[in-house]
Amino acid sequence: MLIGSTTQKQAGEVPPAASPAAPGMREDRTTHLETLYRLTDRLYRAAGMEAMLDAALDAISEGLGCEKCSILLFDGGGVMRFVAWRGLSEHYRRTLEGHSPWTADTLDPPPIFVGDIAQTEESDIVRQTILAEGIRSLAFIPITSQGRVIGKFMAYHSEANACGESCRALAVTIARQLGFSLERAKAERARLAALGELQESEQRFRLMAEHAPVMIWMCDAEGRCLHLNQMLRRFWNVADGDLASFDWRGSMHPGDVERVMGAMGGALQRREKVCVTGRYRNADGDYRTLETVAHPRFAADGSFMGLTGVNTDITERERAEKALRDSEERFRMVVEAAPSGMVMTDGAGRILMINGLAEKLFGYARGELDGRAIEVLVPLAARDLHPALRASHLAGAHNPVKGEVTGRRKDGREIPLEVGINPIVTSDGIRIIATVSDIAERKRTEAQRELLLAELNHRVKNTLAVVQGLAYQTFRKTDAGARRAFEGRLQALATAHDLLTRSHWESTSLDQLVGDTLRPAGANRARIEVSGPAIRLSPHAALTIALALHELFTNTLKYGALSSEEGKVLLTWRHLDCEGKLRITWREEGGPPVQPPRHRGFGSLLLERTLAKDLDGRVALAFEPAGVVCVIEMPIADPGGHACLG
Amino acid sequence: MPWLKGKRILVVEDEALIAVMVEDMLIEMGSVVVGPAATIEQALALARAEQIDGAVLDVNVRGERIDPVADALAARGVPMLFATGYGEVKLGSGAAATVIDKPYTQDKLARGLAAAMGGAALRQSAG
Repeated sequence: MLIGSTTQKQAGEVPPAASPAAPGMREDRTTHLETLYRLTDRLYRAAGMEAMLDAALDAISEGLGCEKCSILLFDGGGVMRFVAWRGLSEHYRRTLEGHSPWTADTLDPPPIFVGDIAQTEESDIVRQTILAEGIRSLAFIPITSQGRVIGKFMAYHSEANACGESCRALAVTIARQLGFSLERAKAERARLAALGELQESEQRFRLMAEHAPVMIWMCDAEGRCLHLNQMLRRFWNVADGDLASFDWRGSMHPGDVERVMGAMGGALQRREKVCVTGRYRNADGDYRTLETVAHPRFAADGSFMGLTGVNTDITERERAEKALRDSEERFRMVVEAAPSGMVMTDGAGRILMINGLAEKLFGYARGELDGRAIEVLVPLAARDLHPALRASHLAGAHNPVKGEVTGRRKDGREIPLEVGINPIVTSDGIRIIATVSDIAERKRTEAQRELLLAELNHRVKNTLAVVQGLAYQTFRKTDAGARRAFEGRLQALATAHDLLTRSHWESTSLDQLVGDTLRPAGANRARIEVSGPAIRLSPHAALTIALALHELFTNTLKYGALSSEEGKVLLTWRHLDCEGKLRITWREEGGPPVQPPRHRGFGSLLLERTLAKDLDGRVALAFEPAGVVCVIEMPIADPGGHACLG
Repeated sequence: MPWLKGKRILVVEDEALIAVMVEDMLIEMGSVVVGPAATIEQALALARAEQIDGAVLDVNVRGERIDPVADALAARGVPMLFATGYGEVKLGSGAAATVIDKPYTQDKLARGLAAAMGGAALRQSAG
C-alpha cells in the first residue's frame, strides 16, 4: 500500500513517457504487433496457467524492452503475490510482496508509471531495495477481469523514464490479453470441476439404478429400449450387450398387449407420465404381474428424450388381494346362505354386514341397514339402555350368549326373536356376530300347546272328579272307609297330574313329586325325612311312584310309624352306580311293633305287583317288627353321569 | 261342621255327578244348598235372587267362564270358593280367589270353604 499511495500521487507528475531521448526504447510498431501476435498465439495454445504466465513475461520483456519483470495476483486473502518473474532477487520479492496501489475490488484503474524511484518519497527501505536491485523506473499495469483488479504486472527498467507512450499502450494491451486469458482459464477450471462432479454424480446414480431392488428401464422417444437395470435384465435374462435387439413386447401376456401398448404409445406420443399394469413372462417362463410407472425425460433444450420407468412385481400382492377378496366373498355367501338371520357389527354397534334373511325379518330393503347402529333394531323402550348393555357384555368374558329378545321392525312392529351373540376378535378389532331368528311362530305354537295341556289336564281332572262322584254315590251308604281310601288314591293321582302338567308332561323332579304327594300330611310332614340327589322321572314313572308313596303314607298314618307320636319315616333315594338304576327306600322307625297283615290289601297289591310291573323294576315290601320297609328299584333313562368305578 | 250349619251355599257345577256329590257333602256338613246351577244363566239368576252366604263355583261351566257369576256375587260381598281342573286359575275379577283342585274330598271342601268364608265363619265355628 505504501508504494501504491506514493506512486499514484506521482503518476500525474510523471512527464510524458514518449521521450525520444530515452535509451533502449522500442518504438517500432511492427515489433509491437509481432509481440502481441506471438502472445495471442501462445496464450491460445497455452495448456495451463504456467504457460500463460510464461508467454506474458516473454511479451513484457520483449515488447517493453526490460530484463526484469513480474506478474502478481491477489491470493484468496486479498494479498498481491508474485506468481511469475524475470531477473528479480528473492530478497526483492520477499521485501516488496504485498505492496500494491490497488485492492482486490478496485474498478478498472489506470496504469501507474514511476519515472525515477530515486525521486519519490517512498520509505528508504523501499527505495533502497528497488535501487539495490538496479531498477530506476517501474511500470504498474493492472490486470483486470470483468472490470475488477485481479493482479498486475510490473516492468522494471535500469534507466529512468524508460517507458514511452507507445510502450505504455503496448503494456495495457498485454495486460488485457493476459487478464482475458486468466479469466478464460479460470472458467475452464470451473467447467472441468463441474463436469467432474456431474460425471461422478451420474456414476453414482447409475450404480444405484443398476443395483436397485426394483426394475428400472429407459427408452428413447420412439420407445426403443436404451437401458435395463440388473434386476430387469435378470427378469428377462437379457445380456447388457443384447439390449439393442431386445424387444420386451414379446414377453407380454397376449391378453394384456393391446391395453399396455396403448398406454405406453399414448405416453410416448403425449410425452407424459404413464402408469400401467400387465403380465410379463420372465426368464423362468412364469407370468408375473408388473406395475409400471414411467416419466418422460427431456433434454436441456426441452426436446423429448424418451421415458424412464420403474416396474414393480405385484404378483404376490395381487394374489394376496385376490385371496382376501375370494375369502370375503365366500364368507358373504355363507352368511347369505345361512338358514337364519345374521348380523355383524363392530365394537361400537355399527352394522357391518347383514344378510337378506335378517333384512327381511326386520322389514328393510337390501343394504338399507349397512352402517346403521344396531339400536335401530331395538324396541324404543329398550333403545336407550342398549349401548350400555352391549358395553357390559363386551367388557365381560367374550362368551357367546343366547336368549329371547324383542326386536323392532322398520314399520315399528315388535317381534319376538331368538338371538345368539358371539363376539370375536379380528385384526380389525372386535366384531360381534349375531344370529337372529323369528320365533313368533314358535311362540304361538308354545302358547297353543300350553292351552291344550291345560285343557287336557282340566278334562282329566274333571273326569277324575266324576269318577269320585260315582264312588261317592256307590259307597255312600255302605263303606265310608273304603270311600275315603279311594278318594285319597284319586287325589294322589290328580296331584301327580298337576305336577306333570306344570312340567309340560316332559319330566318331573322326584323331589317335587314327593313334596306334592305328601302335602296332605300337614303337621305329620315334618316327621318324614326326605333326602336324595336330583332325579328326573318320566311321566309314567312319576304317576306310579306318586300312587306308591300315597299308599305307604296312608298306611303309616293308620298302622305304621306315624300312627304313634314317636315314629318317623326316612325316605331316601340314590343311584345304583353302573346299573343305571334308581333305588328309593321308605323306612319307618319308632312306631308301634309291626304285625304282618293277615291278608294283603289293595295297598300291598298295588305296591308289589302293579308298581313292579309298571316301573319294570322290583319292589320289596317288608313288614319288619321295627317298622315297614319298602325298597323300590327301577331303571332310569338318565343315570346323571355317575362315575362307574370298577 | 257346626259353623256351616244353616249356611246357604250356592253350588255351580255343570257335571251332574259332581254336583250331586258336592250337594251331598254340603248337606252332610249341615248347610243348605242353593242350586246346584248347571249353567251360567241359572247361576246368575240364583246369585241375584237368592239369599246366599257362600258359593262353590266351577270355573268353567259348559265352556263358559264363571266370571259374570263371580262378579255378581262379589258385588254382594258373598265369599266364594272356586273349584277347578286347571292347575292354576286367573280370575277376571282380580280379587284374591280361594281355589281348590278337582277332584276334592269333603275335607278339602271344608278347608276351602273355611278359608274363603274367613274369620267370621271360623269364629262362629270356635263359638
